[in-house]
Amino acid sequence: MKALLLTVMSLVPLGAAERDMTRELDEVARAATIMVDGDACQRIVTPRALDYMFKKDPRDPWVDGDNYDVNDQAFIAVKKTLIRLSHLASFPCDVNLWMPIAGHTDKIRVVIRNVNEMSQFWPWGKLYQDMIPQMKHVLETGRRITVAEKPGWVSVLAPVHDSLDATVALVEVVSQTRLDGHENVK
Amino acid sequence: MSLSTKARAIVLAFGFMTAVPLAAQNAGIELLASPEYLRPDPFGGIVVADNVAPDKVVPERFAPDKVTPDKLAPDKVRASASSNLLHLEGARGGYVSFHLVVKMSQPGPYTLSLGFDRDQGKLQADLFREWFHFTESDKQYYPDALIPITLPYHSRLPEPDNRIAAQTAQAFWVDLWIPRDAEPVAYAAQAVLEAGGRRSSVSIELKVLPAVVPDEDVMLMDHNSYGTSWLAEDYPSISGKLGEGFFQSDVFFRLIHGYHRIFYEHRGIFHQLGYGHAGKVGPEFAPVLEGSGRARHVTEWNLYDRHYGPLFDGSAFAGTRRGAQPIPFVYLPVNPEWPASFLNWGEPGYETEFVNVLAEMERHFRDKGWTRTHFEVFFNHKKRYMGFSWDGDEVRFPADNRYFLEYGRLLKKALPPDTPVKFVFRADTSWDMEQQFKDLAGVVNMWVASRDILSWLPRAPAMLRQRGDVIWFYSGPPVVTQPASTITQFPIEGWMWGVGGFVHWLTVGAGSDPWFHFDGGGTALVYSGDRFGIAGPIPSVRLKIQRNAVQDLALLASFTRRKPLDELKREAARLYNRTAPADWWNPRPAFATEPTYNWSGMALNAATKLAMSHLEHIDPAAWARVRQYVMLLAAEEPKLK
Repeated sequence: MKALLLTVMSLVPLGAAERDMTRELDEVARAATIMVDGDACQRIVTPRALDYMFKKDPRDPWVDGDNYDVNDQAFIAVKKTLIRLSHLASFPCDVNLWMPIAGHTDKIRVVIRNVNEMSQFWPWGKLYQDMIPQMKHVLETGRRITVAEKPGWVSVLAPVHDSLDATVALVEVVSQTRLDGHENVK
Repeated sequence: MSLSTKARAIVLAFGFMTAVPLAAQNAGIELLASPEYLRPDPFGGIVVADNVAPDKVVPERFAPDKVTPDKLAPDKVRASASSNLLHLEGARGGYVSFHLVVKMSQPGPYTLSLGFDRDQGKLQADLFREWFHFTESDKQYYPDALIPITLPYHSRLPEPDNRIAAQTAQAFWVDLWIPRDAEPVAYAAQAVLEAGGRRSSVSIELKVLPAVVPDEDVMLMDHNSYGTSWLAEDYPSISGKLGEGFFQSDVFFRLIHGYHRIFYEHRGIFHQLGYGHAGKVGPEFAPVLEGSGRARHVTEWNLYDRHYGPLFDGSAFAGTRRGAQPIPFVYLPVNPEWPASFLNWGEPGYETEFVNVLAEMERHFRDKGWTRTHFEVFFNHKKRYMGFSWDGDEVRFPADNRYFLEYGRLLKKALPPDTPVKFVFRADTSWDMEQQFKDLAGVVNMWVASRDILSWLPRAPAMLRQRGDVIWFYSGPPVVTQPASTITQFPIEGWMWGVGGFVHWLTVGAGSDPWFHFDGGGTALVYSGDRFGIAGPIPSVRLKIQRNAVQDLALLASFTRRKPLDELKREAARLYNRTAPADWWNPRPAFATEPTYNWSGMALNAATKLAMSHLEHIDPAAWARVRQYVMLLAAEEPKLK
């Protein structure tokens, strides 16, 4: 039932501009599944940062963010791949990396964002958030899915595999029909 | 609680002003005055935060020991039998301020006026209606936003737009501006309330001293903000009309300049960061670039120059009382994604793109003669926002410092050694501050330091100044529910520390409904004037109080011509909060020797508690006492001549 619902959502009628955009974004997403190194993705966020991510302390309200750290070699390598992928589109788009969290199947986190600061899903500033049903679908089925829930926005979600062929992450290939040059400049 | 009972006792303890003989309370209408640190409420009292018991204000043991109390109360009350009499004293090139309060026991119309009895000379009076914000946290009203009015002012109580059904009092902020060339004599003015055929007045006597407040401040108060999207939200009557053209319109740039002007007029500066944590740059914050690698170059300066040209040449400040001056500091749009694409990071292309575009910028600024502003290369991103792999802001993991070294190298390569354009490399520093001061010496030369951690490094400000670095510190505006005088702690703390500036990290975010459901203003010191038909920002009570403290401090610091700085600091600290200068510092905690990534926020809080405890509860008279000391010294100035 859930799979059916998600399929229906992915077929929400789109305008001509969105259809063209979606086609290009889907091509980028397809390439991303091939090009993004899932093993490198798994090395990005440090075990220490993951350990602190769920710590809550009213006396130290920023303990999670203050301890967020990444392995910069892996981060930079994957980020450069994401940037190259975004350049495949003929219009500004971002390719963001999202990953599940071991032991927290109901949560998801963005790991790399890019220069247009676009995402249909990220509430600004969150280290992790509740699992997005469409992302869960991608992680479980390994299939791409298009999401156009916010008016004017299109995201194509595509799986990222590691060397064991497990789906360990996903990309959000995202753009807007009308870019807002001022949003998220903060 | 009425102003004429308990609050009057506090007013007397201030040695400041106003007494209202009962005879003068004219059958249900009354015009009163209160010191700037005692904010009126809409029901005829003083807001609870400012209304402390008189014995808590000036304890006996706190009486100044080098000057007599009567000398220390130049703005003292002289309650005459027939009228309210307000005695004020001020130096030239500065402001004297107070609240006027219209009280009416019955609803109805009224008129407020203010006029000088004899020659007004060059003095100017600015009046503002005080908006009473309803704060959600304690369900109380606080005056803060100041709406400019012209005199005579006609309105009614309850004030229709403030929508307080039981309102019986309306407060007005009065600024008396004393130009540098004003004649140093006594001036007299009358504020008059008329309502229902009755009349009540406050007499104001202002003694202008020959002393002049220096133009330069010893503490540069900076007011920070991010991007410009909030302008469209805060000015719906303008952005709604202009639609998509808003962000390229002249009115948009006038709005931006309006924010610079209001802070400048309040002895401060304004910063707008023009890029996001993943490197997105707002179109008006950077020139347009094209090409990649060797071909990357600037193609268009139009929006950038419309935005910044009037700020860099000073013309945006024409007509202000402080005169047309270029802004002293500005953020550049430089970040890991601009001007070089992060795609090329670590490769020759990154260096080429960065160096070439920075060199173009230097040439453009030089050609335009923009040589009085410090252009800040500043990295604000944090890795927790997933744009980049290192912290530009508040480095916690020391390995991230290598990126600063690399950008320092690139910057040096981009700029001619003899450039007259002032580029600075700024770092906002906290956890790793102590190490960064050492490791980034000669690379970073502008520091904006966490108040907490700087508090245990007493030798750092002098050390940094000695090597030519700029050193500021940061925190944020106090909320309106704290005593009005709380905001004065930042300028005096910075001066005690030997720091040159202070950054309020956000000052334009008044929340979704500051007028009727206020969040307290912890991220706002100005408000949008849109709902009042004003195409620009309006000031706040807190901003005015801060300005007055900053001007007093500038004057106080100028007395180093005849008194040792240490003595001035010692006396100011004692008068402000019964401390000695050493009390403003914390001991370096034991954990400071540990790697910074092992420090905890809790330990940090504990380590800074001692010095902060002296600033936790600033009493309403704290700055009034310092000001009295400053006025006393100012009054002695002519004797030296």
